[in-house]
Amino acid sequence: MAGQGIWWRIAWRNLWRNPRRTLITAGALAVGFFSAVVIVGISDGITREMVLNGTEVITGQIQIHSRGYRPERSIYETLGGREGVEVARLLTAVSEVPGVRGAAARVLGGGLVSSGAETVAVGLMGFDPELEPRVSRILTTVFEGRPPRRGAREILIGYETRRKLDVAPGDEVVLVAPAADGSMGNDLFVIAGVFRTGIYALDGHQALVPMGALQELMVLEPSRVHEVAVALVDAWAATRVAAELTTALTPMVDSIVAEPWTDFRAELQEYAALADAGNTIIVFIVFIMAIFGVANTLLMSTYERRREFAVVSALGTSRGSIARTVVFEGLVLGILGLTFGAVLTWPTMVWLHNDPIDLSRLVGDITMAGSLVRPVITVDYSVDGPVISAVALFVTSLVAAVFPAYRAVRIPPADALAGR
Amino acid sequence: MAIIDRHERRRRVLSALRVSVVTLTLSLAGVLGLSAQSARDIVDQVDRLLRGESSWSRVTMEIETEHWSRSLGLEVWSLGVDYAIVRVLEPLREAGTATLMADEEVWNYLPRVDRTIKVPPSLMMGSWMGSHFTHDDLVKESRMIEDYDIEIGFEGDRDGVTVWEFELTPKPEAPVVWGRVVQQVRKDDMMPTWARYYDEDGGLVRTIRFGELEVHDGRLIPTTLTLRPEDNPSESTTVTYHEIDFDIDIDVDFFSLRNLRARR
Repeated sequence: MAGQGIWWRIAWRNLWRNPRRTLITAGALAVGFFSAVVIVGISDGITREMVLNGTEVITGQIQIHSRGYRPERSIYETLGGREGVEVARLLTAVSEVPGVRGAAARVLGGGLVSSGAETVAVGLMGFDPELEPRVSRILTTVFEGRPPRRGAREILIGYETRRKLDVAPGDEVVLVAPAADGSMGNDLFVIAGVFRTGIYALDGHQALVPMGALQELMVLEPSRVHEVAVALVDAWAATRVAAELTTALTPMVDSIVAEPWTDFRAELQEYAALADAGNTIIVFIVFIMAIFGVANTLLMSTYERRREFAVVSALGTSRGSIARTVVFEGLVLGILGLTFGAVLTWPTMVWLHNDPIDLSRLVGDITMAGSLVRPVITVDYSVDGPVISAVALFVTSLVAAVFPAYRAVRIPPADALAGR
Repeated sequence: MAIIDRHERRRRVLSALRVSVVTLTLSLAGVLGLSAQSARDIVDQVDRLLRGESSWSRVTMEIETEHWSRSLGLEVWSLGVDYAIVRVLEPLREAGTATLMADEEVWNYLPRVDRTIKVPPSLMMGSWMGSHFTHDDLVKESRMIEDYDIEIGFEGDRDGVTVWEFELTPKPEAPVVWGRVVQQVRKDDMMPTWARYYDEDGGLVRTIRFGELEVHDGRLIPTTLTLRPEDNPSESTTVTYHEIDFDIDIDVDFFSLRNLRARR
């Protein structure tokens, strides 16, 4: 290492022979680093927002079904088959698996909600009004009326459904649903409230009914539920926790399977992968631009020092040593750039993370991949972004130094000294 | 026994009579050459068999599925192709539930809540009362000659019976969900034996078999229709006609929402 010290010193001194140029180049690298880290941070922020919204609004981050339930979603495929399960016991077992934040059981079906002249086909979700808030935010989106009460024949409909049926909380509607015994379950329900998520598939096609009332309508025993929705401490641990849940619950319930959101909301997972690929491309472009900046500076400085290189060469300095002076200059420039970059980036990231820029006055809510995204510029802290960018910055400095180093080595001492 | 015998005798006489009429028609057809027009006529005639201009009937619908089986007793009124009311008589728990088809609309009356609801267009392909028939079947099934181009796909012997097999291809603009329908009709008595429904990729979706020929109200008709969905051949819906009267005294006014609700 002592042997290397001299090269660092030489590089450092050479750089400060033209402080302005060095500072500008290091500044360019710093801006490159800053852009790459902040852009990746914003993009990760959007992805996180999408995944959390996509999974927390209603689906949950893990769903537990009977193996035959998906994709056909037959109403007969309840957990534990025809016998059903002890719902409370199952929920306790689910909650005990590490990484699980909350669990709630659901009964799922389809049916018609009719106000008389207008009828809308909806997906019906029977839920437990007391447990549901542990796994989803759907009840917090109620903007008119209130959520249905446990055991009541009440219904919560979406904003679009309300508009189509032209009803209001307190009105009676007819609910018709194919029942498990083949009959057409039908009954009157009172509209308790209206929710609005901004996601059309929910606002226009989903209705929520207390679990007991839906089981009665669909002629299902109280032990028969289709789904347990699970919320996690860390959404990105879904695949691992799902596997653990499947293992933990299998001895208790036949052919039970826990699926992570990356399976049942595969489009979100695909979006995350796409965003990652996009980030890589952006980082790549930013640093390709930086390469040219650094290379230009080093080329200039080696050209200015033609005579100098000719002298040291004539004095017997090896080609490798000459190349090393230039490459180390590149590296020192990289370190300078990174230092400036970190000073610039760190506070910006903290600021954007804690106090996101809200653009919702300029643009409305955006739905992407069936998930609501607020038009808010925020960043997600990640280790990957800064580390990859830092590595890229060093590689950039090295690569950018290669051509100038090659030029320096190729200077013919006699010609250069003769001023030719 | 005596009643059955008399019934049987009457049936034989009538079907013999019909056979001779059909034979006469056929020999004429043979002379004139059976054109596409007469293929249409035959399909139309078969299509009208169970309907007449108007009709009243009492039927049972037996539904077998993987998960349950049940039997519904139904009373049906129909007028032309556009109007029908179906009322559930049995089981008692569901008695009074009724469906009105008027033009292309379907309404259900639910006695338990005493409400009438309109079936939305998106649900027309949904099951009717849990059976393998869809609402769409109830409304559109009766318009064979309007919606399809009809050709003879096969003519000759099948298992010793002379039959036609008509190929029904939906007209381009027809609101039909099938890619193609093939219907087999026995030549000697013009009775349909089966109809096969294919999707747009040419896959067989379901088969309806006609059986138990009987004379009702002076007509020879198949009194059972069995629908078997191809994706689950252990399931089926069978409609059995017990009584049927044709050309009854009924008009459009009968097919109203008010009448749908009325309990007899």
